[in-house]
Amino acid sequence: VNTRLRSVLTEIWLPILLVAAWWMGSASSESVYFPPLATIVDAFRDDWLFARIPTDLVPSLQVLALGYGLALVVGIGVGVLLGLARRLEQAVRPLLELLRAVPGVALLPILIVVIGIDTDMKMTLVAAGAVWPILLNTIDGVRGVEPVQLDVASAFRLGRIARLRFVVLPSAAPQIFAGARTALAIAVVVMVVGETVGSTGGIGYFLLSAQRDFAIADMWGTMIALGIVGYLLNVLFRILEGVVLRWHRLHRVRLEGRS
Amino acid sequence: MALRPAVALPRPRWTGRSAQLVVLVVAVLGWWLLSGIAPPDAVPSPPATAVALGAMLGTAQYWSAIAETAWTWVLGMGCCIVVGIPVGLAIGANRFASASTRLVIDFLRTIPPVALVPLGLLLYGPTRPMVLLLVVCGAIWPLLVQAVYAAAQVDAQLGDVARSFRLGRRYRLLHIFVPSALPFLMTGLRITATICLLLTVTGELFGGAPGLGNEIQSALNGVLNAQMYGYVLTSALLGVLVNVLLARAQRRVLRWHPSVRTEKP
Repeated sequence: VNTRLRSVLTEIWLPILLVAAWWMGSASSESVYFPPLATIVDAFRDDWLFARIPTDLVPSLQVLALGYGLALVVGIGVGVLLGLARRLEQAVRPLLELLRAVPGVALLPILIVVIGIDTDMKMTLVAAGAVWPILLNTIDGVRGVEPVQLDVASAFRLGRIARLRFVVLPSAAPQIFAGARTALAIAVVVMVVGETVGSTGGIGYFLLSAQRDFAIADMWGTMIALGIVGYLLNVLFRILEGVVLRWHRLHRVRLEGRS
Repeated sequence: MALRPAVALPRPRWTGRSAQLVVLVVAVLGWWLLSGIAPPDAVPSPPATAVALGAMLGTAQYWSAIAETAWTWVLGMGCCIVVGIPVGLAIGANRFASASTRLVIDFLRTIPPVALVPLGLLLYGPTRPMVLLLVVCGAIWPLLVQAVYAAAQVDAQLGDVARSFRLGRRYRLLHIFVPSALPFLMTGLRITATICLLLTVTGELFGGAPGLGNEIQSALNGVLNAQMYGYVLTSALLGVLVNVLLARAQRRVLRWHPSVRTEKP
C-alpha cells in the first residue's frame, strides 16, 4: 500500500502544484486577458455545471459521436478491403495520400456549399477529418498480418469470414486502435471548428462568442471545459482499448516473460 | 549484409503506375460528374477549377499565401523541435520526472488546440503569432511524447556493454544513445510535421491570419468557388509534399534500421 501511495503521490504533486501556482499567481491579476483563476472557476461553474450541458455540450457530443462512428465504419471497412487487395491498394494510394492531406477544416467551406449548414454537414465534416488515420492504420495493420498465420488459416481451410474474424482483425486491432485514438483527437478539433460557423449552439460556438463578447472568464472556463471533455474522451477510449485488447497485452506479457 | 532473393522478382512497376493514373483519372471524372449533379455553381467542374488555378498561378497573392503558410509552418516546426525534443529527452531520462509529468502531459495534449484560438486572437489579433500559439501548443505533443519514449527505452543491455568496454561518454552518446533514440524521434517528427501544417491552415482559416487558410475563407465569402477549390487543392499538395519529403528523410536517416532495411522497395 505504501509503494502504491507513493506512486500516486509522484503522479499528482506536479498537477496540484501547477494549479496552486496558477491560483496564487493570478489571484491579484488585473490583466483583462488573464483573470484570476477563482473568477474562471466561477464562470466554469455557472456555464458548465450543468446549465449549458444539455443545450450546448450534448448536441456537440452527438455530432462527434455520429461523425466519429461513421469514420470508424468507413475507415475500418474500406481499410480491411484495401489491406487485403494489394493491387487495388497500390492503385488508389496516391489518391488516398492526396485526400488525406486536404486539411479537414478546408472541407468546411465545400461542405457548406454542397450540404448546407446543419447537423448532417457537421457530422460529415467530423467523419471526413477523422477517417484518414483509421483508414491508413487499418490498411497497414491488415497488411502486416503474420504470413505464417495466414498459411495456418488456409491449411485449416478457414473460410473467408472466419479468417477475417479470427486472424486478420485480431492481428490488425492494435494498429487500428492506434489510428482510432489519433482520429478521436482530430474529430474533437473538427467538431469545434464546424460549430463556429453559422451555428447557434454547441461548445465551439459558445467558445467563440465568449471571445467576441469579451467575456474572458467564460472563454477560459469553456477552454477548461473542452480540455476536460477531451481528457475524459481519451480516458474512455483507453478503458475501451484495455477491454478489447486485453488478450493482446496478456499475450505480450507472456512472450516477454518467456524470453 | 542484406539478404536478397536469389532470383530477382519481376516488378510490375509500369502497370502499377498506370493503374494509379487510371484511379486518379476516374476520381477526376467522378468530381466532374458531381459538379454536374450538384446545385448549379456549388461545385466547380475540374476544367473550371484548372482555369481558376491557372489564373491564380500568375498572381502574387497566390504565391504570397503559400509563402506565408510555409513560413509559419517552418517557424512552428522550429519551436516544436527546439522545445519538444530536449524537454522530452530530459523527462524520459529520469523516472521520477516522467512519473511526475505524466498526468500534466496527458491532460495538456488532449486539450483540443483550437480552444486556444480565441485566446490567441485576444492577445495577438489575426496574425502569425496567433497561429504559432495554436500550432506549437497543438503539434508539439507527438514529438515530445516520442522523445520521452526515446530516452526511456534506450536499451539497457547496450548501455551495459558500452560501460564494460569502457566506452567514453562522447562515444556512448553518439553511437549508443543517438541511434536508439533516432527512430522514435523521426516518427514523432513526421506526425508533428503533418499536424503542424494542418493547424497552420486551420488557424489561418479560423482566425483570419494571412495564408492559404485565409484565402480559402475569403474565396468562400466572395462566392468564388473555383478559386476556393484551387486553394484547397494547393494546401493538399503542400501536405503531400511535406509527407513525401519527411518520409524520404526518415528513410535516409534510418538507412541502417531494420524497419527500413527490410522494407520492400
